[in-house]
Amino acid sequence: MANYHSVIEKNVGLMIVLTLVAVSFGGLAEIVPLFWQKATTEPMATLRPYTALEMAGRDVYIREGCHVCHTQMVRPLRAETERFGPYSVAGEDVWEHPFLWGSKRTGPDLDRVGLRPITEQWHREHLRDPRQVVPESNMPAYPWLAENTVDWSHMERTLKVFKNQFGVPYSDQDIDEQMKKVRGEWADATEEDAVVAYLLSLGQARREER
Amino acid sequence: MSQFWSVYIIAIVVLNLVGCAILLLVNLKMTPEEARNETTGHSFDGIQERNQPLPRWWLFLFVGTLIFSVVYLVLYPGLGRFGGLLNWSSVTQWEQEVALVEKRTEPLFEQFAKVPVDELHQYPEARDVGGRLFANNCAICHGSDARGAKGYPNLTDDDWLYGGSADAILTSITNGRNGMMPPMAAAIGGTDEAVRDMALYVQSLSRPDMTSDPQVAAAVERAKPKFAVCAACHGQDATGNHALGAPNLTDGIWLHGARLEDIETTIRQGRNSHMPKHEGVLSDERLHVLAAYVYGLSRNDEE
Repeated sequence: MANYHSVIEKNVGLMIVLTLVAVSFGGLAEIVPLFWQKATTEPMATLRPYTALEMAGRDVYIREGCHVCHTQMVRPLRAETERFGPYSVAGEDVWEHPFLWGSKRTGPDLDRVGLRPITEQWHREHLRDPRQVVPESNMPAYPWLAENTVDWSHMERTLKVFKNQFGVPYSDQDIDEQMKKVRGEWADATEEDAVVAYLLSLGQARREER
Repeated sequence: MSQFWSVYIIAIVVLNLVGCAILLLVNLKMTPEEARNETTGHSFDGIQERNQPLPRWWLFLFVGTLIFSVVYLVLYPGLGRFGGLLNWSSVTQWEQEVALVEKRTEPLFEQFAKVPVDELHQYPEARDVGGRLFANNCAICHGSDARGAKGYPNLTDDDWLYGGSADAILTSITNGRNGMMPPMAAAIGGTDEAVRDMALYVQSLSRPDMTSDPQVAAAVERAKPKFAVCAACHGQDATGNHALGAPNLTDGIWLHGARLEDIETTIRQGRNSHMPKHEGVLSDERLHVLAAYVYGLSRNDEE
């Protein structure tokens, strides 16, 4: 038997292949089946696709790196559900590309922030200067969001990518409607408007369970 | 999980365990005697590399992990659809945690519910519970010390927009409040001067010494008659109106800033304040305790 492992030791190519086989077991058992599970591939019945304004807000959220300090993942622990709201399930994130679960909580979890009784005005003041409303906060201020208008140039393409590549059920009519609003009432929307709209949309699929 | 994926997962997991065990057994076959005679065949400058058996401590550790995995897979979910003998899942664990705490706190909240709001704040236990509820639900706007922020009322100063009675506080928390001051510049003359005069007059209401300045005194005289339009909400004596949420202008407490500029902005643009309702967000028993906590914030001296 001793000769067999000397074969592996002396053949780097074979060793690489066998190493890859060995480390793939975990993924094959834990990840691959999820691609075909209903719980992870079927959207919740109460889920609705983002509006163009929320989608733009989501892009700003990603650009500013909000997900670096804020998670969007309420774990099934009592302390968390007591503080934030219903725990997160996979069916809520079927249309999230990329998902923004995050992995570090410098700030509070935001997955249910839209369900909390917080006014839009508070969100705006808080984004412009967090310490104005929460003196002990260490969140950076984002005053430029109120000054920048949303860059709408890619929105139609974004919505189409979400529809065609990611299977989000926008109809062509939905996209037309959204683009009409983009050219109309949202034409001069600021990035702050967009982010606040996005924040208020978070968790809405679970409103009934709050 | 379908039958196929269940079998697929079980197959991989079992294959893995068996594979590890075989690997281990195969390497065990070499006795120390054999090892002493055998080298790997590598030889450099006359130095030969020996083929050593696995150290015993490491071997036992490996066997230990194999036994652990088998025990784990019997007790906990891991083998496809087999849920484990303990029937554990993160969801049932969460449900048990919640049920346990509910069972423990329910009698407490029931007990609190029997005490009226204006007495409950004297119970230290209720204050502790209320403080936690406040920190999680109210502190975001009213501050962790409940002293508020610009635009968000201080709850510790016993100055109340909608009344400081137990009922009024409970109503404010449960149903929320909508405070609305319309832009008033046009109603008092519309000029910058008229607005400045009125701001000086309103400021002087809580700072009578201001009128020793003759310029201010003149402005106050000019603004006084126009205050009638303000009095509709703030009252003839400017002490406010709890029914409308119109603040008392004579007490030196300024929700939207005490500077002359702030007061002018308020007159010019009006103010919209919104306290969200918490009905449905918190249970009635919790709202009761929370109201008592807020009621007690400005009455700590009584104890």
